[in-house]
Amino acid sequence: MTAVANRDAQIAEARGHRRRHPKAATPRGYVPLLQRVAGINAALVVVAVVVTILVLTPAKVSALALDEEVAVVLGAVAVVVLANVYLLRRVVGPVQSLTRFAREVDLDNLQDRVPEARPTSEAGELALTFNEMLSRLDSERRDSTARVLRAQEDERLRIAQELHDQVGQDLTAVLLGLSRVSSQAQGGMRDDVRAVQDTVRNSLEEVRRIALELRPEALDDLGLADSLAVLAERFSQQLGLEVSYRIEPDLPVLPPETELVAYRVAQEALTNVARHSASTRASLTLGRDGGTQDRDRDNLVLTVRDYGLGMPRHNIAGAGIRGMRERAALIGAELEITNSVSGPGCEVYLTVPLEAEERG
Amino acid sequence: MSSVASKPAPRRTEARAGSRDRTRVLVVDDHPAVRAGLRGLLADEADFELVAAVATAEAGLEVAERDSIDVAVVDYQLGGRNGLWLSRKLKRLPQPPAVLIYSAYTDGLLAAATVVAESDALVSKGRLGADLCDAVRSVASGRRQLPQLPPRLGESVRCRLDHEQQAIFGLLLAGIELEEVAATLGLTMARLESQLWAMLRGLEGPPG
Repeated sequence: MTAVANRDAQIAEARGHRRRHPKAATPRGYVPLLQRVAGINAALVVVAVVVTILVLTPAKVSALALDEEVAVVLGAVAVVVLANVYLLRRVVGPVQSLTRFAREVDLDNLQDRVPEARPTSEAGELALTFNEMLSRLDSERRDSTARVLRAQEDERLRIAQELHDQVGQDLTAVLLGLSRVSSQAQGGMRDDVRAVQDTVRNSLEEVRRIALELRPEALDDLGLADSLAVLAERFSQQLGLEVSYRIEPDLPVLPPETELVAYRVAQEALTNVARHSASTRASLTLGRDGGTQDRDRDNLVLTVRDYGLGMPRHNIAGAGIRGMRERAALIGAELEITNSVSGPGCEVYLTVPLEAEERG
Repeated sequence: MSSVASKPAPRRTEARAGSRDRTRVLVVDDHPAVRAGLRGLLADEADFELVAAVATAEAGLEVAERDSIDVAVVDYQLGGRNGLWLSRKLKRLPQPPAVLIYSAYTDGLLAAATVVAESDALVSKGRLGADLCDAVRSVASGRRQLPQLPPRLGESVRCRLDHEQQAIFGLLLAGIELEEVAATLGLTMARLESQLWAMLRGLEGPPG
């Protein structure tokens, strides 16, 4: 799966995302705020003490001060400086932890927020503003995800319609014309015409298949569960791939983008099975995984399994698999493709965190 | 879609063809090349007479209201109203013609919708011209070619219909006539009519 892992990295890079910052913070080229202010304050205290001594007891300047007096003064200065550092740390601390948080925030999943951000200080205001910015970034990303997916779908729909309205209809007309020619042709000519007819019928079939793959018919209308059932039926009917499906009833209402991505992943995975796996059957499941106690932490999992050849060892991800990964990444879902452990064939998992979706 | 079940439809009597021996055919398809292809194909067959080839459902209805038609060959997707709308309208004429839906897509949901629209046959545009001619002859002689729905798809179809509509759909799928459907379920014809339109809307979903 190294190819897949590389691909992951590429996608993450291409999207300008970074996982949690892996490196330690880079060395700073400046004196930190705490040390600077504490240093200045300490210097001021020392100067103030020296000046006070000089002003109040000028007579003793030349004389040696008593050891006890020196100790008391030094002790007092030290206490003041330490108290200063302690107080300053409380002021500067939140700014430092905000910096740490900002550096480590997970840009793939913009759900984290600075804890305990209250408008009780400048640092608190800064934290609040930062949280607001994260929220804006999150909603902006959701919007653009929806826009990208919508644009892709519109384009596919347009191509499907062009194929159907132009190419498909022209081929139908050619087929009708050939039928006439065929009935008038004689001898060997008739066989030639028949061969051409077969070719045209095949292309017509192909055009129809491509157009059907391009548009998820009735997804808006039927919803994900029924559309997947129709999809499975069509593979069984038209491609001779026996697809058994199990779809959990009462799934939560999903955002349209999530439904679209799940549908497309199922479609692409089944297409791959039909084309490459040499398997005559496949199974499709859609349901929640894991703990039933803690509903908030559930994932929605789509599984497509076949019983064929499995993935070659050093499989280079083709356009289909890349497309699935990119779509999954758009909705913050994970896609995993592995050879089945329990038998022959391959398994595709799409894991969509429901928590993030429902919070959105 | 293989249309297997062939059932005689008694509501269309042979007497309707009257003294004419040629089958009068109306073609409705919004694609000019397909219209031309059909025109040529039907002209070659001695037993067919092409009454008109028009592009829209409304124009097709006008022709059928004016002239007597035996078989209407209708594309499903037309510019405005679709072929199933036309099918329902044609079936309300005093002398209803047989309706053959000639469509690029013939998969599950459309097949179910053609049953509700009382069409007599559903033929794929991928079939050969000779097959289409055979289908025209078949429906002209009063046979219906009802599509066979795979059982699980039938279930998903029924999900889109309420209880009464499901009952209606089941009876139509079995080739039962409307009057009998109404009598069986204890419905008025008006109620059945409005249910049929609602079912068609439910099954066809968004246009496209």
